Amino acid sequence: MSFEWPWQYNFPPFFTLQPNVDTRQKQLAAWCSLALSYCRHHKLYTLDVMEAQESPVFNNKKIERKLSMEAIQVVFEELRKKGNLEWLDKNKSRCLVMWRRPEEWGKLIYQWVSKNGMVNSVFTLYELSNGDDTEGEEFHGLEEWMLLRSLQALQTEGKGEIITMDDGKGVKFF
Amino acid sequence: MRRGVGAGAIAKKKLAEAKYKERGNVLAEDQIVQMSKQLETFKSNLEEFASKHKQEIRKSSQFRVQFQEMCATIGVDPLASGKGFWSEMLGVGDFYYELGVQIIEVCLALKHRNGGLITLDELHQRVLKGRGKYAQDVSQDDLVRAIKKLKVMGSGFGMIPVGGSYLVQSVPAELNMDHTVVLQLAEDHLLKEGLAWLDSQAPGEAQYWLPALFSELTHRDVTPEEANQMTP
Repeated sequence: MSFEWPWQYNFPPFFTLQPNVDTRQKQLAAWCSLALSYCRHHKLYTLDVMEAQESPVFNNKKIERKLSMEAIQVVFEELRKKGNLEWLDKNKSRCLVMWRRPEEWGKLIYQWVSKNGMVNSVFTLYELSNGDDTEGEEFHGLEEWMLLRSLQALQTEGKGEIITMDDGKGVKFF
Repeated sequence: MRRGVGAGAIAKKKLAEAKYKERGNVLAEDQIVQMSKQLETFKSNLEEFASKHKQEIRKSSQFRVQFQEMCATIGVDPLASGKGFWSEMLGVGDFYYELGVQIIEVCLALKHRNGGLITLDELHQRVLKGRGKYAQDVSQDDLVRAIKKLKVMGSGFGMIPVGGSYLVQSVPAELNMDHTVVLQLAEDHLLKEGLAWLDSQAPGEAQYWLPALFSELTHRDVTPEEANQMTP
């Protein structure tokens, strides 16, 4: 299924940071939404800022408009404030994109576990993210750092416990 | 008898003049009476015409246009007042009044999306849609007339010529215009009002875009969520 661009994507001024404060708010909200859905569609969990500039999301070649580096930083800062983005380095050149927050992932994983009657079982992280059984689930292919955070969220809720095993980590669900 | 000058001739002349004048007056009076009679006939013919065609006036926009033009030639404005012959006999006023109300409804419903500016085309489409199955034909000419009447009532409505058509403005706002190709508007004002977005990557000078005119939006239905994304 191909990605559906929102109307703003083809609206040239969308790629210019708006001077009017109220308009800018609307604009940023739309950018955040677009960035997150794009990452979600393509299952992107990290973004490199330099690469992002050339990515179709921020660069619409058809209408010859792209977001400036400054504007991209503003959008990313907005995402960070909302809890959907985390910088991996001090220089802000790479970031984690959480188009779904850890709690939300945790919920999905737990639902799958209980639906399949596997509460009280132990899973390795690998089994959860890459096992045959989970193919077709949304969290299949989830990157380890994200998976870990999601399980940590479940742990906080008392729904599981992360355990360390010989060759890696695992989790037991309650 | 010799025609000649002399006191007698002058007197005769004067008498003749007086008689002609009198005759002239009589003739003039005659004409006036004639004219009154004609007007009476005209009026009753018109009334007959009106009641015969009342339905058609409500139904056919083309008929309405021609009717309006006919009235204009005679020097009659059928929408001039709510009372009187025209509106009572024809209900012409009613038709435009109702249309005016519809126009206001459409503009108010979309104001949060386009800031109170709408193209005449889009207004037309939406009014037709709103009229539904029993749709009486409504033309753009009808809309323009109805809007002109709304203007007179001081409701904040106005029309701005753009290209070959109009933008209908339903919110009072000061707009400066340049009649060249597109609407050129006071930078500060439109941006401030949130009616325009700035495009600084346009070749040449910075450009301003009005979401209200963004054709991709006007030609399909916008969800309420999308609508909220456009203007504050």
